[in-house]
Amino acid sequence: MKTNLWRFLVVCVVLALTAPSLIGCQPQPETTTEAQVQPTEAPAAEPTLAGAEPPTEPEPVTLHVGTTYIWDTANPTFGWYNYNLRNLIYDTLIEWGDIDTFEPDLAESWTVSDDGLVWTFKIREGVTFHDGTPCTAEEIAWSLNWTIENEIETFSFYLANFAEVVALDPTTLQVTLSDPVGNMESALLLFTWILPPSVWDGMSYDEIMEFEGVAAGIGTGPYKLVEWVEGEYLILEAFEDYWRGRPAIDRVVYREFATDDVMIQALLAGDIDVIDMVPGPGVQSLESADTVEVLIMDSLFIDELIINSHENGTQPASLNDPQVRLAMEYAFDRGQIITLGYLGYGEPATTVLPTSMGDWHNSDIKPILFDPVEGNRILDEAGYLDTDRDGIREDGEGNPMEYRLYATDSASNARILEVISDGLSQIGISAPPTVMNEDSLIGLYPDFDFDLIYWGWGLDPDPDFAMFIFTCDQREEGGWNDSGYCNEDFERMYEEQAVTVDQEERRELIWEMQQKLFDDRPYLVSTYYDNIQAYRSDRFTGFGLGCGDILWKWCFLQGSPIE
Amino acid sequence: MQRRDYLIRKIFFAFITLIVVAFFNFLLFRILPGDPVRLIIHSPRMTREAQERIRTNFGLDKPVWFDGERLHEGDVIGAFDSQFTAYVRNLLRGDLGISFAHRQDVSTLLAERAWRTVVLLLGGDLLAVVLGMTAGLIGAWRRGTRLDLAILLWGLFSWALPTFFLGIILLILARGRLPVGGMVTAGLKPEAGLTYWLDVGKHLILPTITLAVVYTGEYILIMRSSAMEVLSEDYILTAKAKGLSTFRILRDHALKNAMLPMVTMIALTLGYTVGGAIQVETVFSWPGLGRLMYEAVQKRDYPVLQGSFLLLAISVIAANLLADLLYSALDPRVKAE
Repeated sequence: MKTNLWRFLVVCVVLALTAPSLIGCQPQPETTTEAQVQPTEAPAAEPTLAGAEPPTEPEPVTLHVGTTYIWDTANPTFGWYNYNLRNLIYDTLIEWGDIDTFEPDLAESWTVSDDGLVWTFKIREGVTFHDGTPCTAEEIAWSLNWTIENEIETFSFYLANFAEVVALDPTTLQVTLSDPVGNMESALLLFTWILPPSVWDGMSYDEIMEFEGVAAGIGTGPYKLVEWVEGEYLILEAFEDYWRGRPAIDRVVYREFATDDVMIQALLAGDIDVIDMVPGPGVQSLESADTVEVLIMDSLFIDELIINSHENGTQPASLNDPQVRLAMEYAFDRGQIITLGYLGYGEPATTVLPTSMGDWHNSDIKPILFDPVEGNRILDEAGYLDTDRDGIREDGEGNPMEYRLYATDSASNARILEVISDGLSQIGISAPPTVMNEDSLIGLYPDFDFDLIYWGWGLDPDPDFAMFIFTCDQREEGGWNDSGYCNEDFERMYEEQAVTVDQEERRELIWEMQQKLFDDRPYLVSTYYDNIQAYRSDRFTGFGLGCGDILWKWCFLQGSPIE
Repeated sequence: MQRRDYLIRKIFFAFITLIVVAFFNFLLFRILPGDPVRLIIHSPRMTREAQERIRTNFGLDKPVWFDGERLHEGDVIGAFDSQFTAYVRNLLRGDLGISFAHRQDVSTLLAERAWRTVVLLLGGDLLAVVLGMTAGLIGAWRRGTRLDLAILLWGLFSWALPTFFLGIILLILARGRLPVGGMVTAGLKPEAGLTYWLDVGKHLILPTITLAVVYTGEYILIMRSSAMEVLSEDYILTAKAKGLSTFRILRDHALKNAMLPMVTMIALTLGYTVGGAIQVETVFSWPGLGRLMYEAVQKRDYPVLQGSFLLLAISVIAANLLADLLYSALDPRVKAE
């Protein structure tokens, strides 16, 4: 009997030990090859942990950023995520500064010929890439030409009218356009990153698309990409030879968190210093902490209810009736949507262009307030009556006004859809909400097989992109047009604004286009919502607040550690 | 002899189960809607040859089961050059394919993530087993007392406690003293030796406590009821009458008999936890198997899903088999069945 306890213990130990061997792998630290990006140099471990740090070396100032998703790839030619992070690595000719301004970057100054076709840029001297190769007008010309030739998706859109790019000498770059470009400065400032020929030259298109590794992150920007461990962290290190001078913050570490709640705790604990996007419910707990500064900033984000406007879409005929769309606008309770979906951090929207875009936003368009009585009146007048008295109106042919209402599956979207559905039911339209994952939503697109979708955009500071979304060609698979809207007048105005160099004339066109969209209603834009960030104000100070994002290079570089 | 037959039978059934699982595993991901190739091919403008090359690399150019036309032509070997045969062939070689999203060997990816999950679970589970069994046994022995009531309440409470809730509460309590999530401080490498492992250890404390607390409840309740049943048996009374000490009665008579349901319980928990740590891994941003699977579902990363489902199935089947084998060792009656 004595052996029984032993046997029991053996059972426990066996059970415990078999778990790893069951799946055929012992802890093997040397196999942690998860890093797709190998470090170019061993990053300095934090002295408190390493302990063996030489005492003479000053402790590097590290800023930790908490995020729920770092990025999809280090390759800038097809990466769609986290442009603020990429912007710390690469430079552009002209830099996007505050939301509505642009600043000289690699181009010190520029002139334009009278016909608007020839642009001459004076290129900054003494700029080098992170790998030490020089960045003169030659390399910039190479980079822009390479972008155009390979039709690099993420940024060649902005270089559509570029006929020729040449370096006249190492400090002079000349761009010849086929047609004038209405938004030349913002075209060049936006994501047309200058990439080094030392890395990318000689690759085929497929090789470019398949390229991964730390070398993909070589630019001329203030920070070098040192290491990226997918799903865990990413390390940036100050670039000694950055043309503005070495940045005040030595290292930037992005850390990925699986949930927002934990990220908020990490900021309160001081594990991280900045949260790139604070969810509405987190604001209150952060605001009560003395060491944390919460920033509620204007952004270029809009959310909208998309109404299927494609002539071959599967929406019911009644949805194409302008009177029905007008009535829906009266049943669209923006106040309630913002309160419940955004916890108040947003403003009711009118047009596609948010108020943060300044003069581009058409302020003549007055909001239509929630008024289901008026909505009902309009539908009554238009002949949509509830003949069978079931609470849902019918069109002339007796089809009930039942619409499919979709959105991506998030907690806030579920609440927002309830508000929309409830509003529509008050004017006799049935639209039961359905949430689905983004893939399934995108899957509806080739056939435009939906009625209403609640979705959103992050726009460019220049209005061109927001208008481009509504052009006919973009309805093709893989395009941007998610409403299926296509209108001759709008198309004509779009083309005209694209080549209008006089910005006042262009503004008038853009205002007219907004009015057109507001009247035709491919979108009911619900809100311009705020970008909410938070940072440790006991450790860092001075970040610029005009960018709508303190991690945006222009604003980030103004920040410094508190001694 | 009986015992050997019993073992052979059990192993045979485990093997059959595994084959069925592997078959379903293949089927399941082929009947799901959506084209995973779109995920691999980043650009719609990628040349046709490149797209074909990717399809070929991932074996997606082949028919799913067999090529009917070629079979009709009498080319039997060619006709069965399909995704299924490739799957079986690779499986036998231990090759689980290449992840669409990570562009990495699935077996490497799984091995790397699995040991992290095992490290995470091992401590938590062991702690829970020891604490849960001890507390359950004490509760049963002191039945009806305040101590028993306290243990029972604690068992019920911790069993009902949602993992993520407890995790976040612990995070708030330990704020500033222990790292909030992650497995290691950014940039620290295993080459750093002890520093690295101490750092990992520090990151392990909170998730381990969370798991231990959540799992103890189950063990307490099962152990308590099972021990209570045993303690009411006549032979316990006999043991008492013989004048044995409380400790010896519990150890030699009660524990051994009460162990049986516990073995099943522990084996099952171990089997499931390999993939069931999703909540803990999510709260503590632990880059283990659970999160890998969660992401793979979102990204339709079939090879990773296939691989991890297989791994889960293997661990559950193996844990069950192990429980069966232990049963026969612990309980002489079992092999007679």
